[in-house]
Amino acid sequence: MRSLGAALAAIVGRDAVSDDAARTSAAALDGVVPRAVVRPSSTEQVAHVLVLAHEERLVVAPRARGTSLDAGTPPVRVDLVLDMTGLDRVLEWSPDDLTASVEAGITLGTLNETVLGPRRQALPLDPVGWRRRSVGGVTATNASGPWRARYGTMRDLLLGVRFVQADGVVTWGGAKVVKSVTGYDVPKLMVGALGTLGVLTELTLRLHPLPETERTWFVTGPSLEMIQACLDALIDSALQPTRVDVLDTLALAGFGAGDAKAALAVSFGSVADAVHEQGERLVAIGRGAGASVTERPMELWHDLERVTTPAAGDVTLDIATLPARIAETLRAFGREEATLGRGARSIVTGRGTVGALTAVVKGAAPAAVASLVTRLRAIVADHDGSVVVRGGPREARAAIDPWGPLDPHVMDLTRTIKQTFDPRGVLNAGRFVGGL
Amino acid sequence: MTVSSSLVTELERIVGASGIVTSHEGRMTYECDMHVFYKGEPDVVVLPADREQVQAVVRACRAAAVPIIPRGSGTGLIGGAMAPIGGVMIGLNRMTRILDIDVRNRCAVVEPGLINLMLTKAVAARGWFFAPDPSSQMVSSIGGNVSTNAGGPHCLKYGITTNHVLGLEIVTSRGDVLRLGGKVADRPGYDLTGAAIGAEGTFGVVTAVTVRLLHVPEAVKTILATFSDIETASEAVSAIIAAGIIPAALEMLDDVMIRAIEEGIGAGYPKDAGAVLLIELDGPAAEVTVQADHVAAICRARDSLDVRVARDDAERALLWKGRKEAAGAIGRIAPSFLLQDAVVPRSKLPQIMREMRAISERHRVLFANVFHAGDGNLHPLICYDESNGDELERAKAANEELLLACIALGGSVTGEHGIGFDKARHLTLQYAEADLNFMYRLRRAFDPDGLMNPRKLLPSHPACGEGFRPHRPALPEGTWV
Repeated sequence: MRSLGAALAAIVGRDAVSDDAARTSAAALDGVVPRAVVRPSSTEQVAHVLVLAHEERLVVAPRARGTSLDAGTPPVRVDLVLDMTGLDRVLEWSPDDLTASVEAGITLGTLNETVLGPRRQALPLDPVGWRRRSVGGVTATNASGPWRARYGTMRDLLLGVRFVQADGVVTWGGAKVVKSVTGYDVPKLMVGALGTLGVLTELTLRLHPLPETERTWFVTGPSLEMIQACLDALIDSALQPTRVDVLDTLALAGFGAGDAKAALAVSFGSVADAVHEQGERLVAIGRGAGASVTERPMELWHDLERVTTPAAGDVTLDIATLPARIAETLRAFGREEATLGRGARSIVTGRGTVGALTAVVKGAAPAAVASLVTRLRAIVADHDGSVVVRGGPREARAAIDPWGPLDPHVMDLTRTIKQTFDPRGVLNAGRFVGGL
Repeated sequence: MTVSSSLVTELERIVGASGIVTSHEGRMTYECDMHVFYKGEPDVVVLPADREQVQAVVRACRAAAVPIIPRGSGTGLIGGAMAPIGGVMIGLNRMTRILDIDVRNRCAVVEPGLINLMLTKAVAARGWFFAPDPSSQMVSSIGGNVSTNAGGPHCLKYGITTNHVLGLEIVTSRGDVLRLGGKVADRPGYDLTGAAIGAEGTFGVVTAVTVRLLHVPEAVKTILATFSDIETASEAVSAIIAAGIIPAALEMLDDVMIRAIEEGIGAGYPKDAGAVLLIELDGPAAEVTVQADHVAAICRARDSLDVRVARDDAERALLWKGRKEAAGAIGRIAPSFLLQDAVVPRSKLPQIMREMRAISERHRVLFANVFHAGDGNLHPLICYDESNGDELERAKAANEELLLACIALGGSVTGEHGIGFDKARHLTLQYAEADLNFMYRLRRAFDPDGLMNPRKLLPSHPACGEGFRPHRPALPEGTWV
């Protein structure tokens, strides 16, 4: 018998395999130490590694920058960590077509700041910590940020995808052009799938031109209802914001908003005149509702990102609700939060116009978080909302199903799909919905 | 006839005598969609009134192992809603209710048979609209739009149907009701809503659709730019996109098309132009004003002969009327045409236009162009007269050659019409065996018995067959554990 390390070395070269105790422990996922960490540098090498893993019935966990490894159900077994940072090239960028093909390990920071930025183009996704996050990871976790108000999510931006199936078959789905309805929309299936159907290696993306000017306003009010009224009025208007985030009282704390209870941060991006006019109209909406509206520097978004970046030990919850239920959900959250125990607190922010909130819970015991999540799920269930434990310590995700329940028929189909494409449970086994 | 009389009796019991069509004359109405080359008469047509009836019909068909073919308005262009091997067609034209309008949450829930434009009409007074606007929107159904993932002129800025669907209710071939997505935008698990949009009825029968609504923009400006030829106009298209302007719509019409429209309905296009661009900008008024000036300047710099901005709604409507009724106007020039839907990267438009001219000359067939230039989605009408020697054969050859040319430039075989029966064989141009095999297995996950809309969307090639596995890479020498 040869060692796994030697077999992997034959594929990627000795330097790209780590199977010593120090480095495998450093790559542990939720305390599960892999047998090896392998760093391929091409789709072909990824395919070879997966052929091997499939033959040997190994469990493979793909990772790139490691910023979202605390997502999903804690794994029971991980044999190989597939380090995707070796695939980080821009394969093709056609500025005149507003499309680009990149390898999965490239970071949003490199892509948006170094490559596309100078041409005033972007892949408009800005989840917390975006500079360090890989495009593949953002696809697998379907992460997004304030820009979602204007540009949507990866679902709206991913045109084509190359991935390696669990048994090593290299597969392509979608197209390299902005419009194509050729067969099933395979890219959609890969967004948010946590790498359970294939290891993403290459992504073809729709880019957007960045607006000429972007400015930010802060709408603050003494009650959640007032902020909800402003949000309702903004939604029911012809204004076209680029970013819209709602902030609860704690999130607001560092922003010098006096005793305001909640806020909306709103940006408009366009030609200067249109930004100015829309800002004026937002001021009118805010004043009409009795709220105060002030312009803030664009740095507000950096500050907000800092406030919402989880620290070690924090638990992040994604709360999916409806735009019209934001105030209600925030109030319910505030009420339930009181049961978290002494010293615990949480910061809730999110996409007002979409109804996607994120709570960063600090200083709470796993059992308390689990019970909070259970009660929140019951509260949003009346409108088919959901609460997902998006990140946090292993214990918090072990204390409750981090994904929550799915409709039984949908779960059956989900299981069938996973079984179809990964019957041996090679890809991220045990970490996705329903324990898949 | 694959349908037994006991199944017919059972179906009639489910949908009632007025909800079933069994006569040959009646069924002939359903033998094809707008792609009249492909005909396949269903054995029975049922017109259920609600989801429960759809479910009962599907269960009855499944028990009898009879193919099920969903159909909306039948305005598809790909041989999708027809029955090549017979079976039971489920016409959804009676399920036309708007179940919920919820503008506070920017969405609506509708039944699949609802006509696209009816939804926008229902919410227009409140200042909202449903963005997907296929040229057929006055007659096509939202269920059909979902099944083909339909586009339209304004999808350049707003995206195609999939970008505006939040949830689907689907009756699967097992008779289960799948509730995918919904009003709430995020849901844990695979994006099965996204996967099912554009599945052309092969995953099940769509019985309800949750759609996103958009607020009507503050201002709209429509510009008509005239050019001496289509290549020059194509250069201007590329220049507009490259300048970072995404118009709501950016449509091209060539000389043949312009003359047909002007001799027909008359839309005020310049008759002697080689090509025109119909450019629409929408958004905040100040943005539209600045961008309109910018677009006009780009067109002039790219040798536009004339740039005209519609002065009022009436002029704007007229300019659009020409575009929307273009395919009908071509009847003045040729009795029949083939309609292509291939896509090229938008920067390759000038090149594909030159190739198209060469193809047209080589095969001695007339091309009339009216298409979504902004996203590189070509719609040449390849004219022919069947009674004129081998003209149909030449038109088909030219059509095929153009498709190959688009693929060679990195394009796609269909931008918005879909695959259906028509283009299933063309998928191999764009996908390898492994890619098609993935799709085939995805289909089986939704429809294990292969009853849903058979022979559509995927080629019936051995590479797609059950048990076939595409080539897997061999491990390098010495790789073993």
